[in-house]
Amino acid sequence: MSETFGAYLRKRREELLKQSPDYTVRKLAAKIGIQPSYVSKVERGEVPPPSEATIVRLAEALHEDSDVLLALAGKVSADLRQVILKRPKLFAELIRQLKDAPDHALLRVVREVRDGTW
Amino acid sequence: MIELIDDSLVFSFPEVHPSATVSIDFQRTLRIPDDDKHYPLPPGLGCFPLRHVDDFAARVPSAWIEHGGVMLPMYQSEAMWINFHAAYDAERYTAYPFAIKIATGKINVVSGRAWSAGLHRRPQQDYVVVPDQPWLDGYGVAKGVIRQFVAMPLGAGYTAEEQISGKAEHGGLQIMAIPMQRAVFEKRFPKQPRSNRLFARSYVLCEADRGMGFAPGGRMKQEIYRDKYALSDWDLEHSSRCFVHIANSMLWRQITGSHPPTTPPTAEEYTRARLPWFLWYDDQNTAIDGSEVLAGMKSVATLGKEKAETPLPENQSVAPEHIVALRRGLSADQVREFKD
Repeated sequence: MSETFGAYLRKRREELLKQSPDYTVRKLAAKIGIQPSYVSKVERGEVPPPSEATIVRLAEALHEDSDVLLALAGKVSADLRQVILKRPKLFAELIRQLKDAPDHALLRVVREVRDGTW
Repeated sequence: MIELIDDSLVFSFPEVHPSATVSIDFQRTLRIPDDDKHYPLPPGLGCFPLRHVDDFAARVPSAWIEHGGVMLPMYQSEAMWINFHAAYDAERYTAYPFAIKIATGKINVVSGRAWSAGLHRRPQQDYVVVPDQPWLDGYGVAKGVIRQFVAMPLGAGYTAEEQISGKAEHGGLQIMAIPMQRAVFEKRFPKQPRSNRLFARSYVLCEADRGMGFAPGGRMKQEIYRDKYALSDWDLEHSSRCFVHIANSMLWRQITGSHPPTTPPTAEEYTRARLPWFLWYDDQNTAIDGSEVLAGMKSVATLGKEKAETPLPENQSVAPEHIVALRRGLSADQVREFKD
């Protein structure tokens, strides 16, 4: 997974570098406040992906979706984790049931107002 | 099914017809004086916030969980009106018709009878028909006259439920929506060829833990229209219903941790500022008579006097001067909401 994350990161950075010199390893590292050598190691998959906070900053700098980058790094964002941990059984069941649903079906998950006894 | 979207209850019946959707919201408004006069329609001051009771299951009264539904916050003696908006079918050039049954504390607000399943026309029609009925501000006490819905604590003896059934059990507001049968709709409102279609728009204009109930307030000029369709036109197999609980401001804060909207202006402040009141004319529909049961209720001010209480602060009579007349079909852009 870390290799995939690193390779993706490198590919995306190099694409942006063709359009702007702001995307050298050095400049990107300076922008998000980490060492250039660390960025290189992450891109080569020599170290595990960085922390969630660093991935979110990387996503912002590379104009990527942070949830997508976190997923590539094998992580789930803290807010999502909290949502799931609050009702783990329900969400696990829900996600498993929806795993094969087409996108258009996922976009319309309806919550009904519950009627009770009165 | 019923969804909660942008503080509106959206009743939709895709299994009946793609256009069979009606949304209902609850408008904040000023309380009209509870005196001997008949007042025009007060303004809409925006929707009350609505929340699923299930989202606050740990903090709402247990009966609310049993009833299901949604909740909204109201101050004691605050008024409200109900706004209806049926979805427009652009191919048939009409809004999808619905019969809407409404009760407060399980007492029907049109007939004064106890809540029951189905629709009735005898001895008294017990529902309104949307889109003919654009809104409803209170209990139908006489032909062309309603008594405004005013929130009062359950148990104090003022609510319609307590005055009619003698019990303070349910409180809140109960709503049921019944769509027109698909076949009847398609027959009554055939598709119109594109070349003949004029451009038009729908005339939609545009004790703490017992919760609250509704009591009859001041008199207002408003007609409840006779159902012009056949009783069998309504699709009773596909009705949906919802319980709307009313939390007073303190209970709302305890339950949700958020503040309810600010108190609305008084009728006196509103009138003094020369802001508009409204009259609604519809010469295509006939008003039904008021319910004798509802007419027999005592208004909050009258009952307060008998009890030597002052349940309605700032109940001075006002003389609205700036009255805007709205006529059905006159203008697509007419709205009842206040605008600068």
